[in-house]
Amino acid sequence: MKRWPVIWICLLGLWITGCHRGTHPAGSAKPRIGFVMKVLNNPFFIRMEEGARQAARELNVDLIVQAADREIDVDRQMQIIENLIETQVDALCVTPSGSREVVAAIAKANQAGIPVLIVDTKVDEPTAREMHVQYATFIGSDNYQGGLLAGLYFAQKFTQPASLAILEGIPGHETHDSRLKGFLDAIQGAPHLTVVASQPANTERDQGYNVCQNILQSHPDIQGLFATNDMMALGAVEAIAAAGRKGQVAIVGFDAIDEARQAIRDGIMAGSVAQFPDEMGRVAVENAVKVSRGESIPETIPVKIELITKDNVDSVP
Amino acid sequence: MGDAIRFLRFVSRLFKRNGGPLAGLIVLCLLLSIATPHFFTSSNLTNVAQQASVNAIVSIGMTFVILTAGIDLSVGSVLALVGVVLASLLRAGLPMPLAVGIALAGGFGCGTVNGVLVCWGRLPPFIVTLGMMSMARGGALVYTGGRPISGFEEPFRHLAQGTWFGLPIPVWIMIGLYGAAHTLLSRTSLGRYTYAIGGNETAVRLSGVNVHVYKTLIYGLSGFTTAAAAVLLTARLNSASPLAGINYELDAIAATVIGGTSLMGGEGHIMGTLIGAFIIQVLRNGLNLLNITSNFQNIVIGAVIVAAALLDTYLKSRRKS
Repeated sequence: MKRWPVIWICLLGLWITGCHRGTHPAGSAKPRIGFVMKVLNNPFFIRMEEGARQAARELNVDLIVQAADREIDVDRQMQIIENLIETQVDALCVTPSGSREVVAAIAKANQAGIPVLIVDTKVDEPTAREMHVQYATFIGSDNYQGGLLAGLYFAQKFTQPASLAILEGIPGHETHDSRLKGFLDAIQGAPHLTVVASQPANTERDQGYNVCQNILQSHPDIQGLFATNDMMALGAVEAIAAAGRKGQVAIVGFDAIDEARQAIRDGIMAGSVAQFPDEMGRVAVENAVKVSRGESIPETIPVKIELITKDNVDSVP
Repeated sequence: MGDAIRFLRFVSRLFKRNGGPLAGLIVLCLLLSIATPHFFTSSNLTNVAQQASVNAIVSIGMTFVILTAGIDLSVGSVLALVGVVLASLLRAGLPMPLAVGIALAGGFGCGTVNGVLVCWGRLPPFIVTLGMMSMARGGALVYTGGRPISGFEEPFRHLAQGTWFGLPIPVWIMIGLYGAAHTLLSRTSLGRYTYAIGGNETAVRLSGVNVHVYKTLIYGLSGFTTAAAAVLLTARLNSASPLAGINYELDAIAATVIGGTSLMGGEGHIMGTLIGAFIIQVLRNGLNLLNITSNFQNIVIGAVIVAAALLDTYLKSRRKS
């Protein structure tokens, strides 16, 4: 009986070695592409992974997808990148958890001679220049344009003066900052709209709920709410329902994840700006293969972006 | 010759004291070496050491605190607060040694506040450090307005990116701090009282030792090692975020416990904690190399924490019987 712990550790070891055999067919000359996402517990990145895996199957690529547990854990993402560099992948696709922090990790890939493709979130250019790092391309949607679309939607929807609230993402994050900037620029052109509150809710659903609840305390009369991602928007949906104003506040989110689409169909949310993460994943893998073969690719590769409302929720994939 | 014998004696003591965790680490490394050709390379092992350094350094202070039968939940938040203060000082153009000195003193200060509240406020360490955890996190967020502070001069970045004799500087700092902690625990009255307070605090107080002063110093030490880790993390990422270090207290507690230190206090060894920190990091590294998805990794890491604790209990019970 007393030997159990030893046996367990051995079994665990065998299991790990066993897992390994399944993933690496011996002697294959397939290109090996590493794909480091922010997280794998957010529908957005799960769709990105699906797109990437499909492209990998079609192109006969050995694809390695890894991510940290939390979007804000930039150190863990850097560790994963370092570890993948060790396995000598032919190219590395990265969705940066931090626009500045990722630069140090790209520098390591540069040293190892592994080309890097940046996906979804841009790298902070001044930091990149200062540390002399290079990456092959940026693949992503124009987040500024997406924020602008959301703002224009409100400008058209409300004909009378209306007050709006904003749920911001992680401050200092390029993606969320661009969405916010686009939205505010659109609102500037619509003098009848006023932003009465703009607070960060760290991209998380429970935070979105709490922050929206707090905003409703001081501004119970808001008529519109823009959240820079759907997770926060869905949190706000619940907070607004709890305040007894279900369906009375026009909520526009970002990402158009499945749950948000259902909310749009049900009339609980007004809209969501759709990105096409599966498209990003597919384009990233395709271009990673090209780069690993030494072919040249454009410096930026835009991926389409669209506002989803009740009118087109079932026609846009 | 004498040195060689002393070294051998040190190694045999290391095995005797930390047999369970050390055996676990060796088995783990062996399995990973068999499983993937990328594990047992000098560049990968250097990476693992560098990746482990931040948690390993935070765990030094945690081990001292846990040895006194206390707990420090505030380390992750203090790390974030010290990091952003340091970053703002560097951005303001303060010379690096001065800024780092202020950061280390600030960390020591936060820890001392914990200690004072535990001792003179007669509050449970869990509550005090839980409060500090929230206050330090809030402080970091208020101080920065929620935004990360980044972009430092080359000499500061060199702290994390430079190497001495082939090893990254953070690894040397980790080795130095563990050496100092080992000496502190085995050669000084602070070390003796750390164990004694964890074993039986009343007895120590009744024998005329000023327990409050020693305990406060120990919490201060935890703040200090946390600040040292904050300096290295900030240099490594070239950025300090008010959201850095979330859950680091749990990693540090895990490293300490895997290393064989008892949460009841009075029993454990600092080198065991270093081994514990390496077990965690070797696992994370190995699972990346083996391409096991992140959602799955948590299960494996949790299982290993429990297995390591079981193995340690088993070895200890066998030694006693």
